Amino acid sequence: MKGPILALAEHRKGEIRDITYEILAKADQLSVKTGSDSICILIEAPGQGLQEGLKGWAKKILLIEAKGLEVFNSEVYKAYLLEITKALKPFLVFLPHTPWGMDLAPALSVKAGLPLVSDCVDIILEDGNPKAIRQIYGGKLYSQVSFKPSSTYLASIRPGSIQVEANPGHDTVIQGFDTPVSIPPLGKTFEEFVETGQGDVDISQAPFLISIGRGIGDQERIEEVRELTEKLGAVLSCSRPIVDKNWLPKYHQVGTSGKTVKPKVYLALGISGAFQHVAGIKGSGTIIAVNKDKKAPIFRVAHFGVAEDLFRIVSALKEKIGG
Amino acid sequence: MDIVVCIKRVPFTQEVDLEIDSGQRDIVKDGLAFVLNEWDNYALEEAISLKERLGGQVTVVSVGSEEDEEVLRRALAMGADRAIRVDAGNRTLDVRCISRILAKVVKDLPFDLILTGAQADDTNEGCVGVMLAEELGLPHASVVKGVEVLDKGLRIRVELEGGTEEISLIKLPALLTIQTGINEPRYVSVMGIRKAAKKELKVLALEELRLGSGSLEPDSSVERLFFPPEQGGAQMLTGDPATIAERILKILKEKGVIQ
Amino acid sequence: MYPKGAEVLFIPHWIFLMISLLSLGFFLRTIQKRIVPLRQAQKDPRFNHWRLRILGLLKDGFLQIRQPRYPFSGVVHLVIFWGFVVLGLRSLQLIFYGLGIPFINPFSTEGIWHFYAQLKDIFEVLVLIACVLSIIRRAVLMPSRYKGSHQFEAYLVLSLISFLMITDIALDVSHFALKNTPIETISSKITAGLFKAFSASQLRSVFNISFLLHLLTFFVFLNILPVSKHFHIITALPNVFFKKLAKGSIKPARYGIEELEDLEYLGIRKITDFTWKHILDFYSCTECGRCSDNCPANLSGRALSPKILTLKLREHLYSTYPVFRRPTQDSQIVGEIVGEEEIWSCTTCGACERECPVFIEYIDKIVDMRRYLVEQGENPSTFNQVFLNMEKTGNPFGRPGQKRTEWLLNLEGIQVRILKKGEEVDTLFFVDSYPSFDPRSQLIASAVAKGLSMAQVDFGILGPLERDSGHQVRRMGEEGLFQLLKEQNQKTFEAIRFQRIVTTDPHSFNTLKNDYQLKVPVYHYSEYFLELFKTGRLSKKGVPKGGRYTYHDPCYLGRHNGIYEAPREILEEILGVKLVEMKRSREKSFCCGGADVSLWHEVKEEERMAQKRIGMALEVGADRIVTACPFCLMHLEDAIKTMGLEGKIQVLDLMELIISVC
Repeated sequence: MKGPILALAEHRKGEIRDITYEILAKADQLSVKTGSDSICILIEAPGQGLQEGLKGWAKKILLIEAKGLEVFNSEVYKAYLLEITKALKPFLVFLPHTPWGMDLAPALSVKAGLPLVSDCVDIILEDGNPKAIRQIYGGKLYSQVSFKPSSTYLASIRPGSIQVEANPGHDTVIQGFDTPVSIPPLGKTFEEFVETGQGDVDISQAPFLISIGRGIGDQERIEEVRELTEKLGAVLSCSRPIVDKNWLPKYHQVGTSGKTVKPKVYLALGISGAFQHVAGIKGSGTIIAVNKDKKAPIFRVAHFGVAEDLFRIVSALKEKIGG
Repeated sequence: MDIVVCIKRVPFTQEVDLEIDSGQRDIVKDGLAFVLNEWDNYALEEAISLKERLGGQVTVVSVGSEEDEEVLRRALAMGADRAIRVDAGNRTLDVRCISRILAKVVKDLPFDLILTGAQADDTNEGCVGVMLAEELGLPHASVVKGVEVLDKGLRIRVELEGGTEEISLIKLPALLTIQTGINEPRYVSVMGIRKAAKKELKVLALEELRLGSGSLEPDSSVERLFFPPEQGGAQMLTGDPATIAERILKILKEKGVIQ
Repeated sequence: MYPKGAEVLFIPHWIFLMISLLSLGFFLRTIQKRIVPLRQAQKDPRFNHWRLRILGLLKDGFLQIRQPRYPFSGVVHLVIFWGFVVLGLRSLQLIFYGLGIPFINPFSTEGIWHFYAQLKDIFEVLVLIACVLSIIRRAVLMPSRYKGSHQFEAYLVLSLISFLMITDIALDVSHFALKNTPIETISSKITAGLFKAFSASQLRSVFNISFLLHLLTFFVFLNILPVSKHFHIITALPNVFFKKLAKGSIKPARYGIEELEDLEYLGIRKITDFTWKHILDFYSCTECGRCSDNCPANLSGRALSPKILTLKLREHLYSTYPVFRRPTQDSQIVGEIVGEEEIWSCTTCGACERECPVFIEYIDKIVDMRRYLVEQGENPSTFNQVFLNMEKTGNPFGRPGQKRTEWLLNLEGIQVRILKKGEEVDTLFFVDSYPSFDPRSQLIASAVAKGLSMAQVDFGILGPLERDSGHQVRRMGEEGLFQLLKEQNQKTFEAIRFQRIVTTDPHSFNTLKNDYQLKVPVYHYSEYFLELFKTGRLSKKGVPKGGRYTYHDPCYLGRHNGIYEAPREILEEILGVKLVEMKRSREKSFCCGGADVSLWHEVKEEERMAQKRIGMALEVGADRIVTACPFCLMHLEDAIKTMGLEGKIQVLDLMELIISVC
């Protein structure tokens, strides 16, 4: 029988991050196939109580509580995971492919001598062997990757790629980890978290842009979109005609003579999709375009399109969000 | 401050319709243009800026064939002092093998800091940097957005999600993987690159490194490439505005831009 | 010694000799100081095409046909210039007289000298009137193009010239009165009454004082020349003689250097990185301001004023190579003496060069300064991706070479031959990057292809083998990249046999014709299609829509290459369109905004050039603007949208208009 499937929980500022549930879902799904346990590894400071939010999601929670573990540190986590994998001899270890996960997984792979495939969008089993499904070339192609034969396989999972259904409702057992783990003197120490505010905004660094074009029609109506932008925590940007008319300052402009942006989501409202504009948003993760004209060129490059009056969509969005 | 930067030459595929080759394990590279990996470009700029402020030398290293020297020349034109290319012949190398090769080369170089790009434009794995750090036993940080030099060590900003940044202190020598947007990489003119031909570019054959026998066995292998299920223009969302709004919000959540 | 019967001067010859020698010596020393930077400057091969140059000198140096474009100043200047020419002999006569060289008698009225005395006097009166009017005009009207010029110098020199005229008239008239010379010049008539009452000794005093003052003024004036804007009096004619003949092209990075890598840097860092002709340009600027008065960048409120640019560089030149003071350290020009915004503001339209009466060149200097900025990496960062794309994919968009023929998919029913190496074709249709990839420009390329097909021309395109012509990158200052693109294209050209090239775009046309060295003729589609119409290979079937049409001359078709009539002939004679001309048409055309920097860098300005141009079209009541350039089309269409004038005025491309009626 195969060893357990481990999933490392990621938490920040007292909250379990969504990726954790995603990798737990995958661990759970595969544990059914392998007939082994899914175990969530949670490393936290005493009293944080984050295990509460994880109950039901895995058969076991391996809870490690020690002073100073409020915030992730890759050297610390690596030391613990090294001992845990030695002790538990897992079949698979899932890690989040987040900035923290990117700092941890490769180091663990080298230290523990275990093969790693990173940034997986799925893990499948073929004849009992794990295969990773990844994206390459910015998502243009998928690749199926096999591991070197090993007792334990490491995989880091891309956030947002695993569908999370409901809590499987396991009768979760919370265990401790008795094996002593020696933490070496740390090369990197945490100082603080900083929220990078808006204000004089650099739209090229924003992860979510709501962009307006000529379809906005009137300068006053920009306010309606600005309100939506604030509610959604997005950054306002625009196409060139808006700046030409001096309705928004230059630093909002997206396009070849403005800024090139690569947000995770680009919501284009009333933008026709002129070549010069589109060139500035090519690297965007997901483009959602709203334009009255269903033949607008933007729909050729957008991932999702809405052939509708942008103001109706803006109002509807505001209603749904409420508040 | 002496800095080593590890760089990679990747295909320029932004507008290209990719084709899978007959072996099904790679793309057709004929007719493609090649460029310096974007993340590495930022890492290189960061290294050269630090050198310009603090003095020292910047060495660039790349594992690749003769054609890959183009990016090393570009790095030299940008301001790097020395370039090293490791020729790996026709071997298929994964991130683990590359990290071992780089470790063997870099450990004999004088350095206070190693910079790599956070990931590569082509394989998008984001592993080589931290694996190299672990091989060398160095403190490391990934997805670094800002570097501040202190008396002893660095204060770094790591870019987390949703606009949050994590500030940490890191001891030197260290390795950082660099996120795009940390700086504005300088342009080097075609003339500048030609001039850089005079700077040192050393080529090492893999055999010279005397790596252990298992070192060149990859931890992972590509079995096959395939195209994503959907293709073509925008997926049109239909229905009344309320339904569409709901769909949009769902997409926003999926992509992680709202909670 | 004096000529027989001549009036003896109070002041002995040797004093005049001293004055002359000192003044001349001083003058020559100044000239020597002015020659120093000329010798330290870069090479510039201008000692060629002697016949053309001599003709140019006659036309523009002596006849000064550019001057009357500003009628008042033009006429005044011609008067003063020809006055100087005519009076040159006079000055020589008076000097010889003062020095005691007896061969020439300035006061002779025999034979031809009678005629000369009359002629000289007419000119002196005219010059005097011209100077006085100029002083009044400058003081009262202060034309805007004079702003930033050295006003004191202008007044001083006009006053000195006036004084020269007055003193010569005075010494002449007093001499005539003294000797009862039988001559009636205008001046002698006017002053007759005045001198009747003078005694002989009084007349002698007037004569001597006038003579002395005249010669002193002359020598002072001579020495002021090389340290003021009036240096042009000496340098303008040479400057015109050595003018740039190779229109439309950009100078190489350095004349006489093949391997550019051997240069420490490209472009302009210090003042002597300019060529000697450019230094001569700085010497020759008269501060007339006509360049800035016609510069679209200046008129749109950009940072660039060509005149001010020249004056700043001249100041810097004078302070680095001074005549009297200690030299100052030669500082970096770009960024310190000249602002970067100034340099990027230029659209290379050539209006300044077209206006300048002394043929000062601007485009080469600005491109040279841009070369330095680009090499140092100090160009606007938006250029970087464009340059990289050009290098890697041969187009500014970064689209792969295979997609260069995607626009062919829009062509219904027409097969366009995509040429391969080793093939042969009659006409090579060079599409270039924007018409290949930009959706709006693709329509123009399609129209050209349709037209060629209709006329049954044996043509083909290079498709994936075509690289960008390099027109933009050269003018943006990335010379190495331009050379790379040119090399790549020329290799392809050598592998294919063709009789001519036809281009979609005036910029490709200009570069292939003037920057490349091709053995075949290069045409813009307008000229070629005129020929096709005239030879009956294409004929009009329909009639263009009604409306008030005007034609906007693209800078690189018109001003740089002199093609004004071909598009008009097509429109008026062939298509039967009645054109109304804008005030600024043909060589006076107003740039639309440019086809390089403006695409990728927002230059600070008060009003977009294209918007001003639309205004000019509206002024003449036009509701349709025809143009023959995809970039003009882009800018003008943008402007119409921004100004909210859709439906009131529209822009058409000439080729699209042709296709609509064929």
